[in-house]
Amino acid sequence: MLDARAWLLWALAVLVTASSTRNPLYVVLVLLIAAAVELACTPRRRAVSHRRAASARRALPSAFRFGAVAVPLATVFNGLTVHFGETVLFRLPAWLPLLGGPVTLEACVYGAINGLTLTAIFSGFSTFNRVTPARDLVRLTPRAFHEAGVVLSIALTFVPQMTRSLSRIREAQAVRGHRVRGLRDWLPIFVPLLISGLERALGLAEAMVARGYGAISDQAHSLRAQALLALGLLALLLGWLATLFLPQWRMAGIGGMIAGAGLIGGLLWQAGRSVAHTTYRTRRWTARESLAVLGCAVTLAVLLAPLPLADRETLYYSPYPHLALPPFDPVIGLGILGLLVPALAAKAEEPQPDD
Amino acid sequence: MRRIISGIIYILSAAIGVLAFVYPFFADASRQPQASAHTQDAPLITAALVGLSVIALLVELQGRAISAKTVALLGVLVALTSVLRFIETAVPMPGGFSPIFAPIILAGYVFGSRFGFLMGTFTLLASALITGGGGPWLPYQMFTAGWAGMTAGWLARITHHTGRFRESIELVTLCAFGFAWGLLYGAIINVYFWPFAAGPAAQAWTPGLGLWETLGRYGAFYAVTSLGWDMARAVGNVALILLLGPATVRALTRFRRRFYFEVQPDA
Repeated sequence: MLDARAWLLWALAVLVTASSTRNPLYVVLVLLIAAAVELACTPRRRAVSHRRAASARRALPSAFRFGAVAVPLATVFNGLTVHFGETVLFRLPAWLPLLGGPVTLEACVYGAINGLTLTAIFSGFSTFNRVTPARDLVRLTPRAFHEAGVVLSIALTFVPQMTRSLSRIREAQAVRGHRVRGLRDWLPIFVPLLISGLERALGLAEAMVARGYGAISDQAHSLRAQALLALGLLALLLGWLATLFLPQWRMAGIGGMIAGAGLIGGLLWQAGRSVAHTTYRTRRWTARESLAVLGCAVTLAVLLAPLPLADRETLYYSPYPHLALPPFDPVIGLGILGLLVPALAAKAEEPQPDD
Repeated sequence: MRRIISGIIYILSAAIGVLAFVYPFFADASRQPQASAHTQDAPLITAALVGLSVIALLVELQGRAISAKTVALLGVLVALTSVLRFIETAVPMPGGFSPIFAPIILAGYVFGSRFGFLMGTFTLLASALITGGGGPWLPYQMFTAGWAGMTAGWLARITHHTGRFRESIELVTLCAFGFAWGLLYGAIINVYFWPFAAGPAAQAWTPGLGLWETLGRYGAFYAVTSLGWDMARAVGNVALILLLGPATVRALTRFRRRFYFEVQPDA
């Protein structure tokens, strides 16, 4: 299995790829790649939990189910509200606000492409969620969010316990003749669950204090850091406003946004340095991870960088005003195939038995 | 001084959120059609900006040392809320109903706005981890749910001044609040999908399409695709708060006293 960081980069690459094109051929290619990676990499769990296994089996349909809703919805919506294009399917009476006017094939097609794009993004992230265990994701929390990571770990640990105590409370109430018929009958189950959970939180807090949690890290951050944070947000906001509304200040606006993001990132890094952090079992970044990242980098380079070979105009397919076959540039197609590399990299280590 | 700066941080991050909410309407009106190459990454930039402002707010809230008690309480309440989703499967509810909002609002109401914000963001984050629903829309969800919890904390300041009918006033206010956030949440999350559904500004571009017409379009989009869905969420929130609200508020208030009980030893 690959490192969660590599998978995160992969998911971001899928996001960027899918949202930087409206050419249906490329979008479908991304969809297929996401499905293939998911099939290849979903971990086969050795009966760790039945629910997990069940959800893994449901994995593929979830993206399809999403698409089955998103594509028709986007088609109908775009078809009914955008009255461009030359191939008129039928006309709605003009007195209808917004909907009135010709309904064109082009608008419907464009809506369908939008739906497909959304589905591709969704399937990329659902693959990401399937192939990386939640624990690994929690470990991705930056060090500055040490407390946030602790909260998440507690939550993830307590969910199974809570589920168990939920069923215990239900059984106890059932023995007393309580039956769940409607929403109202959940109150005698919910209140004991809440109170026992709160009791447990008290116990946990005391145990944490007893083990020295928060004994040293109670320094609030300095006034200067706080002011810098405010400054970073201000730079972000002003930069964004400038790029949106003042075309002549566009470059300055982008600079402002980058400066703001850098400032906030720097503060995070600064805050993270003060947190001492040890890991019990370290995951190593191996050649496989580098290979996977390289594959994603190739895709992004082909899509975003002005390379001489790739015809980037094919990314901006538009069905208006007259429907035509979308163009396909083999170089870009090959570049998108770079997203498949993580699947191969993950497969390469398969024979080695993992802990 | 500290308070002023943190107020400024709240206002700025809220402004970024609001701008993320309204910018598609302005962008549609002001963009030139040939700018198509850049409009396509607009949703990405928006998601990144909203994510950054969530991060900034988290840093700000976290900066004031979170005690072990808050950490434990947050963790357990988030876990509890995730388990509450079993109601969702046990009692089939239509549309966008999800039982996670009522606990966020109630916890924010009892434990204050800071706790409410953390509760909202972490609940969404944890349930995204558990159910595998994470994606570029997650910053929006965390941001919106966080603000729902935060504003619930402000609500407490208003109702605490009421006298004799406090409990019933509390309940009515909370119900109205849950209803409003049920609709608002949907409207805000939709904005993420809006650029996809309507197409980037330039390609669904109509000559002379003004701000009002774009707003009208969004209204139609909203009414067609999500009003019913969101109404189910709003009504579900009201039902859950009516049902669980009084008992939960009572239990949480009792535990608040126990939780924030501190011994201060002589130095």
